[in-house]
Amino acid sequence: TLRLICTTTAVQKRNVGASGPEKYTEAFIKKQIEEFNLGKRHLANMMGEDPETFTQEDIDKAIAYLFPSGLFDKQARPLMKHPTEVFPEQRKIQWGEDGRPFHFLFYTGKQSYYSLMHETYEKFLNVQKHQDQLTAQDLPLQKEKRNLAGSRWLTKIELEEMLLEKVSDDDYSRFIQLLQKLVALPCADIEEKYIQKFSKEVPVQLQKVVIEPLQHDERGVAFSTGEGKRKTARATAVVYDNGTGKITVNGIDILHYFPVLQDREQLLFPFQFLGRIGKHDMVCTVSGGGRSAQAGAIRLASAKALRSFVTEKEVEFMRQAGLLTVDPRVKERKKPGQEGPRRKFTWKKR
Amino acid sequence: RIMPVRWSRYNPSYLEPEVKKESHQKPLEELTEEEREQMELKAVRPIKAAPPSLSSSVFSDPMISKFTNMMMKSGNKVLARSLMSQTLEAIKRKQLEKYHKAPENEKETIECNPYVIFHQALKNCQPIIGLSNITRGGKTYQVPVPLTDNRKRFLAMKWLITECRENKHRRTLMPEKLSQELLQAFNNEGPVIKRKHVLHKMAEANRAYAHFRWW
Repeated sequence: TLRLICTTTAVQKRNVGASGPEKYTEAFIKKQIEEFNLGKRHLANMMGEDPETFTQEDIDKAIAYLFPSGLFDKQARPLMKHPTEVFPEQRKIQWGEDGRPFHFLFYTGKQSYYSLMHETYEKFLNVQKHQDQLTAQDLPLQKEKRNLAGSRWLTKIELEEMLLEKVSDDDYSRFIQLLQKLVALPCADIEEKYIQKFSKEVPVQLQKVVIEPLQHDERGVAFSTGEGKRKTARATAVVYDNGTGKITVNGIDILHYFPVLQDREQLLFPFQFLGRIGKHDMVCTVSGGGRSAQAGAIRLASAKALRSFVTEKEVEFMRQAGLLTVDPRVKERKKPGQEGPRRKFTWKKR
Repeated sequence: RIMPVRWSRYNPSYLEPEVKKESHQKPLEELTEEEREQMELKAVRPIKAAPPSLSSSVFSDPMISKFTNMMMKSGNKVLARSLMSQTLEAIKRKQLEKYHKAPENEKETIECNPYVIFHQALKNCQPIIGLSNITRGGKTYQVPVPLTDNRKRFLAMKWLITECRENKHRRTLMPEKLSQELLQAFNNEGPVIKRKHVLHKMAEANRAYAHFRWW
């Protein structure tokens, strides 16, 4: 599968819910919750705060004050959290005292996954039956398209947490395919509630970046700054208005600093895209990286600086042209047992 | 299911960037339904950074940059780019020579734009059908197989480059030889076109094994 290098450490957490039946009984967890609530009130009294409005943040601060610890690992320090966070949710024991399992699909090995698939298929058949009824009565089928752009399906890890059971990649992809088929039917609005359990909103607000207003220097010329990076190169660019299109890098003209045509093309890319080649002056400083990395860093810095001069729609166009994203590609590390990041040592038969 | 072997530093939800200015300035009414959905998706999803070889200027052409990358050896893009520009210059010079020598009525038929010649030559070199090795019962058969667009382009470019590197006189330089090959391919002559026809004939000859293909 695609090895996700870019995701958080949440990916590497073990699925504790699927590791086995519960080690802690329900009665034990209830007792722990009662003890936690009592302890919270005692702590509030000790700190002189009101026990009713004592939040989790206050608990953390109080514990950090009463038990200061110099340990580096945050998870090794003294901790006081609600038992549901400390004791992870685990599957209850699925068979009764006589040894007979409760669920009819227990012997498949993945009972929650298969029961989920059965449920989803049942909804699918329901929707088809409804559709057939409507066509039999010659009523028009509703064609309101769900806004697919704003939502995403649950990831494999989230599904595993929901089912408390390991889900393989194949199983996950089959489930997603079934959901997509269900959504593709015209009358899928009936099962909207069921589908919403498995879809999450992707907020557009994540991409709203604050555009800085223009600053003016002593002569009254408007300018704005931007920073960019690429591989190991770091660049800062200052774009002035009412210019002739001169670009200076580290005090040297671009013709002398970048003898290669490709780098100069990259520098001019944001200006050419917006159609403002002769209208702006630019002064930039760049350090680190190589020839192409410095050019890419300055391109990003100038694109960020130009955001203040331009309407919001054009900023959106720049983003869709790939001018405003930081390029995450860096040099891959060398691995032990290999000569380079990918190249293996020469294979010798003996 | 396809198992990708290579991985990328980008999250799979990142989309490819669209560099051309015209596609952003199209008015809303002209777009088809698919394009509208694509636009909505682009508004929500993050987009990858544009690579250094791509630019919105008139002079950057994705086909030419792909060809330059294939010609490049040991990462020497500067040399590859200069060879490419010298090739295009050589093509222009040869065509202009022909243009000035030709009589009045033939002047319009002679194509002088090196980019047009390059694209047309590539198109002429692309094979329609390819062969793939399938092993059945111990014997390996050459089975005719349809090719995807990407594969056709790749084969055409690969044949041109290998042809220019091997079958030339010791003293001729790459730009001259490449311009010669491109002009010949443009007129549907030359060794690369011959290689394409040989491949087609082989595929026609092995037509009997076409049912071995299962995809």
